[in-house]
Amino acid sequence: MRALIIDDSAVMRKVIERALRQAGLDLSEVLQASNGEEALQALRNESSASSPLSLIVSDINMPVMDGLQFLEARRSENLAPGVPAIMITTEGSEPFVLRAIAAGAQGYICKPFTADQVKARVLPLLAAA
Amino acid sequence: MLAAEPHTAPEELISRLDSAVSEVFETMLERSCAPVTSQHAAGEHITAQIQFSGAIEGLCVVYATPQVAQLTAEALLGPVSDTRDPMVDDAIGELCNMIAGGWKSKLDTSAAVCLISVPTITRADSARFKDALHTTTTFNRSYSFQGNVFGIVLGL
Repeated sequence: MRALIIDDSAVMRKVIERALRQAGLDLSEVLQASNGEEALQALRNESSASSPLSLIVSDINMPVMDGLQFLEARRSENLAPGVPAIMITTEGSEPFVLRAIAAGAQGYICKPFTADQVKARVLPLLAAA
Repeated sequence: MLAAEPHTAPEELISRLDSAVSEVFETMLERSCAPVTSQHAAGEHITAQIQFSGAIEGLCVVYATPQVAQLTAEALLGPVSDTRDPMVDDAIGELCNMIAGGWKSKLDTSAAVCLISVPTITRADSARFKDALHTTTTFNRSYSFQGNVFGIVLGL
């Protein structure tokens, strides 16, 4: 299984990867991006990947391109269609949640979070995908 | 300035900060963390600053010595090579991000509709960054986890 983790904090990218592995995901590769623009480029390069991407996890507040802009651009370019995206972010207010869902996010986790919370949100998404 | 909650007592704002800090440490670092009365060490500190804008105007600063910051990073990640590892600065930045976000989320609905910036992380003598705060109301708070002390400044 391959995942894309998008967060401007390298620490948080590692924490999220660990939480995904603790949730039982057999991750053969984890792509990392520090902002939405890097993530879009990673998705544009997916055509040459050996196996498909299974999950996208993204923060919202990032420099260059934030997570909401990333979702909207991803949909506009039809990149990785069908790959579930879940937001992990400190922005838990309703306007952000609604905008993320409208832009195509299938899940939302507020920081701080536990590995169990990640498991509870991610596994059903992967089962449904 | 806290435009959306003009009548919120300072004690309530501090209580929410204490709650946000405790939540971050217990959830992400699996450590207990409590407010303390403390004089901070002189010398270099790693500081992370986040700005609030919108219904709340102000900033949140988290600061710690490199040694305490390394312990914070290790609580999040596991062993870190030394205090100069970039992950150490990153950890303080992410701590500030989560604490600021958590504090903001505990305000009433209208006040919670504001933006928080990405953290700005620097290394400086602790006195210098305090001199740079130009806010109407400033709260200074110290916290300790396992005997390791760090500070938070809320400027509103």
